[in-house]
Amino acid sequence: MTAPARVRPDPDTGGRRSAGGAGPSPVPAWRRGLRPYVLSLPAVLIIAGILYPFVLGAYYAFLNYAAVVPNPVFVGLRNFASVLSDPAFWSSVRTTLAYAVSATALETALGVGIALLLNRSSLVGRIFERVLILPLMIAPVIAGVLWKLMFNPQFGVLNHVLGLGSTFDWLSETHALFSVVLVDVWIFTPFVAVLVLAGIRSLPREPFEASAVDGASWFYMFRRLMLPMMWPYILVAVIFRFMDCLKIFDHVYVLTAGGPGDATRTLQISAYQNSIINFNYSVGSTYMFLLWAIVFLTARYLVSVLGKAQRRAAGSEA
Amino acid sequence: MGDGSRPGGRQPAKPAGREGHSRRGGKSSAGEPQPGQRRFSPASVGGDLVLLAWFVFSLFPLVWLVLLSLKSESEQISTYFEFTPTLRNFGTVLSSEGARLTSVNFSEALLTSVLNCVGAVLVSLVIGVPAAYAAGRWQYRGSGDVMFTILSFRFAPELMVIVPLFVIYNQLGLFDTNVGMIWVLQLVTMPLIVWILRSYFQDLPPELEQAALLDGYTRKRAFLMVALPLVRPGIAAAALLAFIFAWNNYVFPLILTGSGHTPVTVAVTRFLGGGGQAFYSLTAAAAIIAALPPLLVALSIQRYLVRGLSFGAVKA
Amino acid sequence: MGSLSLRGLSARYAKTVALHGLDLDVADGEFFVILGPSGAGKTTTLKSVAGLVDAVEGEVRIAGADMTGVEPYERNVAMAFESYALYPQKTVEQNLASPLRSGRTGSWSPAEQSERIREVTTTLGIEHLRGRFPRELSNGQRQRTALGRVLVRPADVYLLDEPLSHLDAKLRAAMRAELKQLGEMTHTTTLYVTHDYQEALALGDRVGVLREGRLVQVGTPAEVWHEPADTFVARMFGQPEMNLFAAELAAVPAGGTAARSRRGGIAVGAPHSVRDSVDPGGSVLLGIRPRDLAVLTGEEPADRLVLRGRVTLAERLGRLVELSVDVAGEAVIAVTEDQRVREGDRVTLTVPWDRVHLFAGGPDSGGPDSGGQDGGGQDRGGRRLGGQRLGGGVPLPATNAGAAAASGGGAR
Repeated sequence: MTAPARVRPDPDTGGRRSAGGAGPSPVPAWRRGLRPYVLSLPAVLIIAGILYPFVLGAYYAFLNYAAVVPNPVFVGLRNFASVLSDPAFWSSVRTTLAYAVSATALETALGVGIALLLNRSSLVGRIFERVLILPLMIAPVIAGVLWKLMFNPQFGVLNHVLGLGSTFDWLSETHALFSVVLVDVWIFTPFVAVLVLAGIRSLPREPFEASAVDGASWFYMFRRLMLPMMWPYILVAVIFRFMDCLKIFDHVYVLTAGGPGDATRTLQISAYQNSIINFNYSVGSTYMFLLWAIVFLTARYLVSVLGKAQRRAAGSEA
Repeated sequence: MGDGSRPGGRQPAKPAGREGHSRRGGKSSAGEPQPGQRRFSPASVGGDLVLLAWFVFSLFPLVWLVLLSLKSESEQISTYFEFTPTLRNFGTVLSSEGARLTSVNFSEALLTSVLNCVGAVLVSLVIGVPAAYAAGRWQYRGSGDVMFTILSFRFAPELMVIVPLFVIYNQLGLFDTNVGMIWVLQLVTMPLIVWILRSYFQDLPPELEQAALLDGYTRKRAFLMVALPLVRPGIAAAALLAFIFAWNNYVFPLILTGSGHTPVTVAVTRFLGGGGQAFYSLTAAAAIIAALPPLLVALSIQRYLVRGLSFGAVKA
Repeated sequence: MGSLSLRGLSARYAKTVALHGLDLDVADGEFFVILGPSGAGKTTTLKSVAGLVDAVEGEVRIAGADMTGVEPYERNVAMAFESYALYPQKTVEQNLASPLRSGRTGSWSPAEQSERIREVTTTLGIEHLRGRFPRELSNGQRQRTALGRVLVRPADVYLLDEPLSHLDAKLRAAMRAELKQLGEMTHTTTLYVTHDYQEALALGDRVGVLREGRLVQVGTPAEVWHEPADTFVARMFGQPEMNLFAAELAAVPAGGTAARSRRGGIAVGAPHSVRDSVDPGGSVLLGIRPRDLAVLTGEEPADRLVLRGRVTLAERLGRLVELSVDVAGEAVIAVTEDQRVREGDRVTLTVPWDRVHLFAGGPDSGGPDSGGQDGGGQDRGGRRLGGQRLGGGVPLPATNAGAAAASGGGAR
């Protein structure tokens, strides 16, 4: 340090107090506590504005609102009774669950596998990692349009390339569900892969190095070290995918409009048909109310599983 | 220890003593060729084959789409891979002649998409940034509930709100308007922006703003001077990601717009409309045009993608 | 007039109480050091003075004005944070200019600002770094920049939060000297927080020892060193820590009271203050600082406590030697310059009577039997736990068996 210069901060000149100002003005504690609420107020107002139609939508389930009944009355649980006893509803539930479970399972398996393979940083991996995310960024409805063109029996490229002839119908009653799940896998596997890959890359190195020094096999390291630490990331991806699959609409509608028959009529498509096509607003709202209940319960369960997995990965649970 | 010099938006605060470069994928030390293991072992080649298979599956449809869009009308269904490419389809799609031909005004749809999405994102930013800041800085009573409610919009079935909105919009005259769409798109853009930004604000060391307070700045100025610049990358990432999701949205405009203000997602499906002529090449061209903006945006925010897609849950 | 006074200052973070009603008066221009282990509440105290803690009760007065409810930007207080909190997107020069441009620390023209910044950076030796960004600086340079941001503007009180804790040992020693000079130059009331007792003793006009949100002792460096209020304070200062031996008070037949260690190897007379607080048979703690012990060569003096034992460990640390001596079953740590002592040797140590401290005994006294729990302090009901300092030793009362008792190893 150089010889100290005369750097005495001068309390007399330029001081705030000598500038003729009044003393400090206290701000009462309650006003300070109000700040977060004031900042959040616009958001809360918007939320209220958005919640209102939600509540209204739920309310419609208890009316007999339809285009033919412009002045609906309260009918209690009648809609629920009729919907819950309607085989069409249960078929829709089965279809939706089959869709959600198979799509999520496939995407998770593929996504985790791709993430693990990409983590090796091989030549192939490094080249293609940049384009991994492409299908995800395309609007699902446009992906649906694209695959609809490819599925075309006569001139669609799939039948041609796979040698299936010109009569194989990808969207027939027996094949439709498989095909829409296939498109879902095409679009959303990268979501799982990207998430899990980021998770893997953020894992600390030391446990693996220590384990290698101890002489552990790759398989052991994977099962005992990597998997538990990866689990929360995998679960986050699973939660997002499963919840989204429960309300799937865009590409399925464009590909099959729910058909043929009931083959791909998921719950939201059913609601759409009831409400918008048949103008049975209340019936459609009942479908949605039930779907929302399923989503809510599933979410709570899955989030608690996620919490456990996160604690386990951090080592605070066995 | 934090040295306060690390921009909060780039990396979360790290515990003292941990070097940045040691946090690499554990697998890479286990998966890289061990001494004594040849680089091109059957396992690694097999892995590469699997990867290759996936990328063929993943990219082939996109390549084919591009090829289809380059085919002329006469060749669109008669050939597969041998044809004479032309760019005319793109021009047709965007022109008024094309609009007359297909009864889909695509360039207008493009404009509508831009307007709706930019508008929705701006509204969400103006409202969401302060809310995210409040939730990230203070644990005020109700912040958990507010955040959870916002999150629930992400997972709520759209049709639940569309039916009453359909009725309300018709009553209010908001059906088939840009304003109506911007309002509805808040369901898509606001959760993203609020959740992502809250995680960025939480990562900001509070002492930077405290230092600004002691320097003599009011809380508002301290926020604008210190906090906001540091979360700028986060704001950009959140806004652009929200833009992508708003752009790709289909079910809201499908029901809440008519023929006047449809965005590109609905417009593309109209090309395939039943009956009459089939405009396959034009559809392909339109699809590519519609898919391009989100793709380009995604490529520019690749670094922040994971944090955004997981709503801030995964900070990698 | 930049005096600072705290009255009943309490602070809370969510459910935890960080400060329990602190009372403190710091005179204008005084350099006051708050010493305490981590978690004691040191930073909370500083931030409460600065107005940065929301859940605060009690009174803070700066320059005589009550600061309750006053925002930080109106308190005329400057703080250097432990993490430096430098604005990452501003250069060093801009960081130092920030307080000058806010308008609340005075009004300076751009030329005057430049001049002040130049002066401060020159004093701190960072003038050549004015154009750099914080991420391009070393820890020491960042620390000086943070200090510069404090010094560049006038303030009633400086708050310095562990400014040296992230520097390596050599740099820390050098900066300690610089800070002392700076303190003398600026004549501003300063609250300096640290966990390093050497900094506290070197820099402070007075030192306050903070423990779990309470001020255990406030005094000059000499006072806290020579008259620690309890075993906690005694052990905070000095490396190696003060020796503590469990002892029992017993009346001496010839009159007076003596405190003897378990096997009688260490025995010292107890002054009135001890006799008033503890009955015969009661337990006390004898405290002797390692540095107060001297290796005896030559005749045994009569005016000091004499300890005889065998060296079990001798650690050479440069000029000094740290000895562990077994004196009748007690492990006595001593620090001496005498290089001739070897392990296994029989050695005699002496210490002046008044350098033997007597502390109240008991389960929470912080003595060797208290399970590592630091002594002193109060429980919630304000009841005093063991460990308070009761007084200094006095010569052992002479008795018929006095000579035998004082010779250590006695079978009593």
